Amino acid sequence: MAQVLLENVTKIYDNKVVAVKDANLVVEDKEFVVLLGPSGCGKTTTLRMIAGLEEITKGTIKIDGRVVNDVEPKDRDIAMVFQNYALYPHMTVYQNMAFGLKLRKYPKDEIDRRVKEAAKILGIEELLDRKPKQLSGGQRQRVAVGRAIVRNPKVFLFDEPLSNLDAKLRVQMRAELKKLHSRLQATIVYVTHDQVEAMTMADKIVIMKDGVIQQIGDPHQIYNKPANIFVAGFIGSPAMNFIKAKIVRGEGGLWVQASGFKVKLVKEHEDLLANYVDKDVIFGIRPENVFDKVFALAPSSENTISAQVDIVEPLGNATILHLRSGEDSIVASVDPRTKAKEGMEMDVVFDMSTIHIFDPETEKAII
Amino acid sequence: MMKRKILRYIRIATMWLVALIWILPFVGVFMTAIRPMEEILDGWWNFEKFNLTFENFSKALTHPTASLAQGTKNSLIVAIPATVIPLLIATMAGYGFSRYKFPSKKLTFILIIITLALPQQMIAVPVFQLLNAFGLVDRYLGLILIHSAWGIPWITFFMRNFFSTIPANIEEAARIDGASDFLVFFRIIFPLALPGIASAAALQFTWVWSDFFLALISVYSPEKLLATQRIPLMRGVYHVDWGLLAAGAILVLVVPLTVYVILQKQYVKGMVGWSLK
Repeated sequence: MAQVLLENVTKIYDNKVVAVKDANLVVEDKEFVVLLGPSGCGKTTTLRMIAGLEEITKGTIKIDGRVVNDVEPKDRDIAMVFQNYALYPHMTVYQNMAFGLKLRKYPKDEIDRRVKEAAKILGIEELLDRKPKQLSGGQRQRVAVGRAIVRNPKVFLFDEPLSNLDAKLRVQMRAELKKLHSRLQATIVYVTHDQVEAMTMADKIVIMKDGVIQQIGDPHQIYNKPANIFVAGFIGSPAMNFIKAKIVRGEGGLWVQASGFKVKLVKEHEDLLANYVDKDVIFGIRPENVFDKVFALAPSSENTISAQVDIVEPLGNATILHLRSGEDSIVASVDPRTKAKEGMEMDVVFDMSTIHIFDPETEKAII
Repeated sequence: MMKRKILRYIRIATMWLVALIWILPFVGVFMTAIRPMEEILDGWWNFEKFNLTFENFSKALTHPTASLAQGTKNSLIVAIPATVIPLLIATMAGYGFSRYKFPSKKLTFILIIITLALPQQMIAVPVFQLLNAFGLVDRYLGLILIHSAWGIPWITFFMRNFFSTIPANIEEAARIDGASDFLVFFRIIFPLALPGIASAAALQFTWVWSDFFLALISVYSPEKLLATQRIPLMRGVYHVDWGLLAAGAILVLVVPLTVYVILQKQYVKGMVGWSLK
């Protein structure tokens, strides 16, 4: 097992398209790192550069302290699981898993032992004689993972391995991969566009957009302290509310003034916003931090606003309200016992300690 | 419901009709071959007398001036290498075109496609001169080389398209698993490309086997003549033995037919090679 290090890694296709720009990343030994972002953000390209399937235009990649820029994929001691599984269709499950070991000239009984052990871990022992065509999607996925683990590589690379599975199976495989990680004590780099996968499995999440790393942090940091508007909007469902506002000095301190409401900032935020008084900002608040006043813990005139209810979406464990305040729409995820009805006016309470303020020009988070 | 059933019967009847029209000439040739001369003089469709005989076949095989046994052997000597050589070269070329990036790839490929449009009659004279210059006239090697050269462009095109249907991820997985380019090709790509290779082989073999024109300009010694070249020789100057001719035609036909039957399953799967992307 080993550390993976990316230093100023850049990938430019055909001297034109910049797929990845100056990526710096440390994947610690035994760490589960998820590269997350929308399609075309460069996450897969980054993974493929680590694998050696794409050349690196600039920068260096080190695996276990060794620069691997010009090292062939087979000599990097990595294993990769592809989105479409990429099993060898003309080989049985056993042969698929044994192929890499065979090429590396392992003795026959050692190959047999490893394949059977991996098959046992993954629960595919009875499938060893089948061809990939005769397997279901979930089984193929297991074989693909099995092919990776028999080699006992330094680093595992996963390229959207669950996106071809149906929703139920995805949840199950997610848990299994997580279990596998702790069992194998492996270093894993995992690419996905699914934020739930990232949040549930990762030790560390790397969020990318347009080839640039936006933020690196554990799921908690990414969720609670997003570095910019993109990260804040990408993580969380329903997405964070972004409202154009102004910081104004008012009664008892600084307030956030939007088109339809005015709320007071908490003390610890005021210092950070001293330079933004009378300036435009983007006010961000997650739907679950907007409460129906009836169920709010500490409603006061400083954090309560009145809004019109546009749509009510009951989910059972929560109810999503689409609200309108002035020119802004606000999504709230409130207690399911809410009495909110479409068309009515209601009071909602912001948890002001959880809000975010972004600079509208740089889009970076101030709070 | 009723209407649909009637339509179905009409469709099936039409298909039978087309198939019958298609196969009728062959039935004629077959009937001519397996019956004595006097029975077919009034037309093979007269069945008042019917005697089965294989005399025509044995006569064709042991014909004094144009023995088909020898012709079949000669044809095999030409057709097998003229199938294997272009297949080997063009399969690798097609793989290259489908997977690797190299300068002027597009131009090279277009040039290859253009050669597909050349009629054989146009190249007859230059090819003959070339063979002559290399001392390959009236030698099988010369004919094998022409057939190979003629086959390489279309097989390259065909195999390139076929390879494009194989996901690149499989090769990448093999590469990560530890396979070199060479191993990736022979252990992964080659087995996956077998349907394509088989159908290309069937087509190229049939093509070389049934060729008359290229053989005509490059091979002329009587003992070297190929099977297709021998059939016209079986026609006498004053008398045409139709039974003998028909038997000869069937004997020549049997070999590519057998190849097709053997490769049939792969052949159908491999047809995707004709789809252009």
